[in-house]
Amino acid sequence: MNIFDIIGPVMVGPSSSHTAGAVRIGYISRKLLGENVKSAEILLYGSFLATGKGHGTQKALVAGLMGMKADDNRIPYSLELAEELGIEITFGEALLRDAHPNSVLLRLLGETGRTLEIMGESLGGGIVNIAQIDGIATNFSGDYPTLVVHNIDQPGHVTEVTSMLAHKSVNIASMQLYRSNRGGDAVMVIECDQEVPADSIQWLEHIEGIKKVTYLSLQG
Amino acid sequence: MIIYHSINDLVSLSEQLKLPMWQVIRKADCEARQVSEEESFATMKKMYQTMKQTDADYDKNLVSPSGMAGGAGEKMRVFNASGRNLAGEYLGLVMEKALKTGESNACMKRIVAAPTAGSCGVIPAVFLSFEEFNHMLEDRMVEAMYITAGIGAVIAENASIAGASGGCQAEIGSASAMAAAGLAYLQGGDNECIVHAMAFALKNMLGLTCDPVCGLVEVPCIKRNSAGAVNAVTSAQMALAGIRSAIAPDEVIDSMRRIGNELPACLKETGMGGLAVTESAMKVKEKLDAR
Ligand code: SF4
Repeated sequence: MNIFDIIGPVMVGPSSSHTAGAVRIGYISRKLLGENVKSAEILLYGSFLATGKGHGTQKALVAGLMGMKADDNRIPYSLELAEELGIEITFGEALLRDAHPNSVLLRLLGETGRTLEIMGESLGGGIVNIAQIDGIATNFSGDYPTLVVHNIDQPGHVTEVTSMLAHKSVNIASMQLYRSNRGGDAVMVIECDQEVPADSIQWLEHIEGIKKVTYLSLQG
Repeated sequence: MIIYHSINDLVSLSEQLKLPMWQVIRKADCEARQVSEEESFATMKKMYQTMKQTDADYDKNLVSPSGMAGGAGEKMRVFNASGRNLAGEYLGLVMEKALKTGESNACMKRIVAAPTAGSCGVIPAVFLSFEEFNHMLEDRMVEAMYITAGIGAVIAENASIAGASGGCQAEIGSASAMAAAGLAYLQGGDNECIVHAMAFALKNMLGLTCDPVCGLVEVPCIKRNSAGAVNAVTSAQMALAGIRSAIAPDEVIDSMRRIGNELPACLKETGMGGLAVTESAMKVKEKLDAR
C-alpha cells in the first residue's frame, strides 16, 4: 500500500472517480492520439451521465484532452480554454450495454487528421481502465508506457513487435492479445517497463499487415 | 523489509526497532518505493503544504455547480470572531477549516485526498489549526502526517476507505481516526495513546452511511468533515487523558469492515437511500435536472 495513495493524490475536486479519473481518461486519450485534439465527441454513460455535471466530469474530460493532469487548477475553465483554442467539443449520451457505471466513449480527431475512438472507465480512487480502442476490447490503466498495435490477424505480427522491443532493450510488463474474429482485426496491448523509441513506432507503422500503432508515453 | 498489516504491527515494529512510529512508517515507505528518507519526507511535506494552500486559497464567494455548497466556512469564521463561539478557540478554528476545505473540494479547487476527496477536510482542519494555535514547527506536523498515513494504510488494507464499499464510516470515519492518531502524537501521546485515539474516533463513526444528495460530494459530506474533525479532537483528548478503548484498535477496524459489508447498497454511495431520497433532496434533483 503506497501511503501517498492514502495521503494524496493532490487533485482538483470534487470526486476522485468523477473528476480526477475523468481527467486521467482524457489525458491518456490525448497521449494515445499522439497529437493535439482538433475535435472531440464526448459520449457519457451511467453515473458519468447522471451526476457528471455536478462533479465537473465534462470539464475534467476536456481538461485531460488538452493535456492537463488531475491537479491542474485550470480544470474548472477547460471548456472556455478549449473554445479559445478552437477545439470543437460536442457532448452526448453513449448507448452502451452492461458497461461500467462510470464510462465514457471518446471520438477524437487530431490536428493532422488522425482519429481515435476510446472507451474509458473510471474505477474509483482516480484509477482508470481503457476498455476499448477503435471498437476492440482492451484492458489497461495507463500506468506504464503502453504500445497498442492494430493488425490483421495473421501469423508473425506478435514476433515482429516483441523482437523489436527486445532489440531496443524494452522489457514487457504485460501483454494482451485481442481479435474481432479469426483473420479479422486484432489488437496487441503491451505495457512496458521502459519507453519505446519514437522511430521504432514509426517503423512498426510501415510493416505490412499492421494497420495502426498507438502509443502512450509517460514522458512529458 | 519493514512491512505492517495491522495497528499491532506498527506498535511492535516501533518497539523492536526502537524508532518512533512515524519513522517506522517512513522506513516502510522508503523500502516500498525505493526512495531516500529525505525524498519521502519532502513528498509528505508537499502534501501538508498543499493542504495549507487549499485553506489559504479558500474563496468565500464560490458556489458549487449544484448551488448546494459554498460560504459555510466564511459564516463559521465570522461567527468564531463574534465572541459567541461555544466550543473554544481551537475547536472553532477546526470547524471553520474543515468546512473551508470541504467546500473548496466541492467547488473544484485543488485539494489533497486524505484519504478521499469527500473527506479531505478532516486532517487539514485538525492539523492546520493545531499548528497555528501552538506555533508548531512544520516538520513536526509532517511527522504526524506519517502517523495519519500509516493508520490510513492499515484501515485501507483491513477494511476500506471508499464510501462505495464501506459507507461513510470508511471515508469520514477513517479520516477522523487518522487525524485523532496524529493529534495524539502531536500533543505528546505515546504509541498506546496514539492507537487508542484512533480506536475511539473510528468507534464513534461506525455505521455512518454514505447517502450523498444527487450523488454529489456536497450534502452531507461537507458538514461531516467538520463533525469528523471535532470527533478526532474528542478522541485524542480521551486517549491523552488516559482513557482506554475496551475494544482493541485492530478489532475496531475489523468491525468497520464487517459493518461495511452488512450495510445495504442503498447506503453506499448509490444515492438510493438515506438523505438522498428525502423530499428536500428530490427538489434539488429536479432543479439540477431542469438545467
Ligand atoms: S457521504 Fe459518501 S461521498 Fe460523502 S463524504 Fe461520506 S462517504 Fe464520501
